[in-house]
Amino acid sequence: MALSNSINRSVKEFFLEAGALSRFAGRFLKTGFKPPYEFQEMMRQCYEIGYRSIPLVSFTAFIMGLVITIQSHPALEVFGAESWLPSIVSVSLVREITPVITALICAGKVGSSIGAEIGSMKVTEQIDAMEVSGTNPFKYLVATRVLATTLMLPLLVVFGDGIALYAGYLGVNIRGVTSAHLYWTQVFNKLTFGDVLPSVIKSVFFGFVIGIVGSFKGYTTTSGTEGVGRAANASVVISSFIVFIVDLLAAQISDLMNIL
Amino acid sequence: MTVSGPENAAPILTIRNLKKSFGENTVLTGFNLTVNKGENVVVLGRSGTGKSVLIKCIVRLIDPDDGEINVLGKEILKLDPEPLDVMRARIGFLFQSSALYDSMTVEENLEFPLRRHLRKHIKYDVEKLVKDALESVRLDGTQKMSPAELSGGMRKRIGIARTLILNPEVMLYDEPTTGLDPITAREINHLMLEVQEKFKTTSIIISHDMNCVRMTANRVVVLIEGKCYAEGSYDDLKKSQDKHVKQFFD
Repeated sequence: MALSNSINRSVKEFFLEAGALSRFAGRFLKTGFKPPYEFQEMMRQCYEIGYRSIPLVSFTAFIMGLVITIQSHPALEVFGAESWLPSIVSVSLVREITPVITALICAGKVGSSIGAEIGSMKVTEQIDAMEVSGTNPFKYLVATRVLATTLMLPLLVVFGDGIALYAGYLGVNIRGVTSAHLYWTQVFNKLTFGDVLPSVIKSVFFGFVIGIVGSFKGYTTTSGTEGVGRAANASVVISSFIVFIVDLLAAQISDLMNIL
Repeated sequence: MTVSGPENAAPILTIRNLKKSFGENTVLTGFNLTVNKGENVVVLGRSGTGKSVLIKCIVRLIDPDDGEINVLGKEILKLDPEPLDVMRARIGFLFQSSALYDSMTVEENLEFPLRRHLRKHIKYDVEKLVKDALESVRLDGTQKMSPAELSGGMRKRIGIARTLILNPEVMLYDEPTTGLDPITAREINHLMLEVQEKFKTTSIIISHDMNCVRMTANRVVVLIEGKCYAEGSYDDLKKSQDKHVKQFFD
């Protein structure tokens, strides 16, 4: 009985939270594009979210590119298909691995930072202070961050693709010798617009999810500093979870549209 | 410095039958108050009796369940978002925690409301306005400091400067001396009186600090059970034999 009540309560809380998050996203879509625009703050957020994430994204993409290439080599070697390595690795990196890994890294770095920053502003009445000074805090804090993550994530993914493919080149050369010309020719012969476009489009949604979830958890923080910690943590967990769901949906939609 | 209050001045702020509940917890049960121009009214009450809720209703940070609030001739509760923002610029609000923006310097904190309300003007010497506001709270020179480098008293002063920069006609202070040592608290009390005199503001001060009440109030309103239980000058209330009023002065 107690277990049943606990499950009922959890299910109810889940749907309430999902409803509140949907309304929050709806509010962003309704008001986020209306003037006055907080252009300066948005540029600052683009710098914080985009530029400052470059080292972490580069490092992760480099390792992923290298590891995927090294790990794929023995499997292809069995079938004597080593020459396919650049093509196979590049497609898996561009289509799936770099967008998802970059999104997860950003969910951890950017999502938690947005959740904690807005959350601490909420509990220290800074958001109220903004409101009484005649500034719309939703536009200033939420719209700018959501737009910045939505714009920056695809750029980070494209940048990460470049780094990961370069790491793939190094990986190919660990066990053999492949010229740069041959490697890049094989990569670009195999990669098509249909590989890159879905990856960029889904990155836009990943960015939106990270921004909106981080902002939502921060904006609805309660219970003081403890709540700020919870908001940061929940931002990462929920946005990572939704990133996987979006990825699954994107794969299905791409499949239906015959892009794959 | 002594409290100089107006006599027979026009009402600037009127609250009628204000009610607010949070779930089962009823906080305001029909609160009435009239504040005249240039007056310092202190709302006195125990913790959790709805003092902060009251002034947050005045600037619509909290929407009341019922009642009317008229500030500077406008029905606050009926205002649309844009006119409400214009009205909010005429009302200064000092938060209990000062609520300075952590990610900005002192200068940027002061510029923040200013730039939003003066953006349509062609030229404005923002730097001078910031300097003047800081001078009025005797903290000129702190422009480049971050809020984390300031003491509690300095944060309160900067909070006051941030509201003064828009030349508000009404000031709302939420427990301005809470968490301060007696000397700093006295300085803040003096500062509130200076603001009243220099900027000709009308103020509502939320407090349970009796020194603050004694020093700053033209009139004291005792908030008990969500209503204006008693009101009068500090001296009048101090002489009251009512047990609920007396407990604040004993």
